[in-house]
Amino acid sequence: MVRLRVGFLLIAMVLSFFCARLVQLQGVDPGSYAVRAAAEGAVRVPLVAERGDILDRNGVPLADSIKGKMVIADPALTADEAPELARLLSERLSIDYFRTLTALRGRKEGSRYEYVARRVPSTLATDTLAELDDAGFEGISLQDDPIRDYPAGDVAANLLGYMGTDEPLGGFERTFDEQLAGVDGEATWQSNSGKGVRIPLRESTLRAARNGAALRTTLDRDLQWFTQRVLAQAVQQYRAESGAAVVMDTRTGEILALADVPTFDANEPTDADEDDLGSRALNDTYEPGSVQKVLTAASLIDAGKAFPRQRFKVPPNLARQDRVIGDWFDHGTIRLTLAGIIAKSSNIGTVLAADAFSPVQLVEYLQRFGLGRTTDIGVRGETPGILTPGEAMTSQTKDRVAFGQSLSVNVVQMAAAVNTIANGGVRVSPSVIAGSAVTDDGTTVGTDVATRTRVVSRQAARATARMMEKVVDPEDGVAPGAQVPGYLVAGKTGTAQRVAPDGIGYDGSTTVSFGGFAPADDARFTVYVVVHAPRVDGGGGSIAGPVFSRIMGYVLGRYGVEPTDGPPSRLPVEW
Amino acid sequence: MSSPALQPRTRVTRIAQEAVDRARLTVVPRVRTRAPRVPFVTLVSVVLLGGIVGLLLFNTSMQQASFAASALEAEADTLAAREQTLRMELDELRDPQRVATQAQQMGMVIPAAPVFLDLETGRTTGVRTPATREQAINLMPPAPIKPANLAPAPILVEVPATTDPATTDPATTDPSATAEQPAARQRGKNRNR
Repeated sequence: MVRLRVGFLLIAMVLSFFCARLVQLQGVDPGSYAVRAAAEGAVRVPLVAERGDILDRNGVPLADSIKGKMVIADPALTADEAPELARLLSERLSIDYFRTLTALRGRKEGSRYEYVARRVPSTLATDTLAELDDAGFEGISLQDDPIRDYPAGDVAANLLGYMGTDEPLGGFERTFDEQLAGVDGEATWQSNSGKGVRIPLRESTLRAARNGAALRTTLDRDLQWFTQRVLAQAVQQYRAESGAAVVMDTRTGEILALADVPTFDANEPTDADEDDLGSRALNDTYEPGSVQKVLTAASLIDAGKAFPRQRFKVPPNLARQDRVIGDWFDHGTIRLTLAGIIAKSSNIGTVLAADAFSPVQLVEYLQRFGLGRTTDIGVRGETPGILTPGEAMTSQTKDRVAFGQSLSVNVVQMAAAVNTIANGGVRVSPSVIAGSAVTDDGTTVGTDVATRTRVVSRQAARATARMMEKVVDPEDGVAPGAQVPGYLVAGKTGTAQRVAPDGIGYDGSTTVSFGGFAPADDARFTVYVVVHAPRVDGGGGSIAGPVFSRIMGYVLGRYGVEPTDGPPSRLPVEW
Repeated sequence: MSSPALQPRTRVTRIAQEAVDRARLTVVPRVRTRAPRVPFVTLVSVVLLGGIVGLLLFNTSMQQASFAASALEAEADTLAAREQTLRMELDELRDPQRVATQAQQMGMVIPAAPVFLDLETGRTTGVRTPATREQAINLMPPAPIKPANLAPAPILVEVPATTDPATTDPATTDPSATAEQPAARQRGKNRNR
């Protein structure tokens, strides 16, 4: 009997313990236990969205994303075998041995998570991990870490921009990040083994990643490459500070190539000087020099204030209110036609011709050519250049503006202005994005929103083009080196003094340029080349002209544009 | 079959004794057909057993499917990564720089101006200019100018003066390990596959 009672008592005690525990579990804080139970074995996998490609006009990737992995070490497991492991990892992954060693030993005391390498191609990473597993090493794991790859290295790097560790740091990558980035997703499920095997019929959620959309540009990768190489060669040969070149489709305003030198390898942006990472073609201004003369001449002809055969007596010097205007070549009083003034690039002649214009009239034309305002093609930090408003412009300034001084432009602005002449007087706003895309400041850019505005009459544009043909004439012109064998080429040289870095006066260096189009009588492409501060003596004709010729010859062949059989310009240059 | 339950009734309905007598109800004997138990039990057992085994098999197969799914997913991942890597390699093979370098090594140059051959008439348009070595373009652009912080001082490792091999760290004295370090640095970040 006693035994039975003791037994019951024991059972009661045990049961009351159970009861107490039950109350504790279910009464006090059931929520946290439920969460802990769910977390036990729950697997949470971030689904990384794939970044959209940046494509050229033919769909060739200029930037693409591939699967990659980050290699992570747990120093608690790797510290003991760090040297052997570091040696293997640094060999396989081509990473720094000593940094790997430090990571494997833990940068901090008690660290359990160290990056060994980031953005390792997935196949290489998994192969290496398998090798480590076979060799019996522990403590190395992988996580998704997509790689941004620029297959052609420095091709169009100045426009594409580059990626930092986790975010875009420049160029299109940053401007169109919202479109390119996509949205990461997440998957959760219950797992039993910790190896990622799902327990069926258990709670699992999936929020799929939304991949970024591709960005299509109007660039032509091969042409862009060629343009960059030819330009870089000239910059190197003439020991210039920098250079830029634009190739534009005359009819659509699409930019087929936009080269900047010096440039950088978009895969290794940190290897280059910070100043070279942007697009100088759009971010820097310079005085265009004599290329501007064609805009002045076209405006004059359009306004009915000049014509190509108009005769001018050009004195050796021209005294204007504040200073004397001279020409780049010494001459006595020569008798040039307007065509001759363009062909020989006479400042004095241009000033005399432009006397028919008031500053307001001239500036109004130049504004319609697109000077003084940004082109808004979607490149970050574009400068609008400087064009003094007509009302505020003195007649001395107007004289200088007429031949390309006392105003500043960016390369694409000027290319689009020259392209206006090529396109029969209609300015097509340039674009580098095919279709349309929205920049990070909310502007819609691209070929879909390109505008066409008539600046000068068709006749005025034709007449100007005829005069520009004379520029590359071996006898009459200053830039025979810009000719493309077999084609009628129209162009204009420019040699301008460069404004000193402090912005006051000129520093003695020059900016040489050549802008032109071909075939002159039915233009298909406009090419504009600018070389800043060459340290070898030369002008727009001798330095930029041959670059123009090479690029133009290549693009005409690449797009199968046959030579036209129109007659060459027979305009007289002298009288 | 006179059951005691009937007795009170007879007592009460004495008036209609006759009728009652005539209409005497008798209980139909209950016919007990004994259904054989064995088939039923067997059936239930079979259903139960079948259910359990089926559930087990189903569960197992689901688990199996889950394993297979995981394995296939991993394989799909690997294959996708392989495909992307191959595509990247292809893109790099198509790199105009590489193509041009090879072509130039083979003696080809990019012409200064194109010439067109009409296949029907056999006539050419354009000026035929000979392609010369001078037209070859410089394919190696100058290397980008490195910022100053990218020319770091080399990492020097002090090797202990002792000759006892047991006390020297194999990693720091291994000549191949130290020698490959600048090479690895030059090759940059994970650009190989």
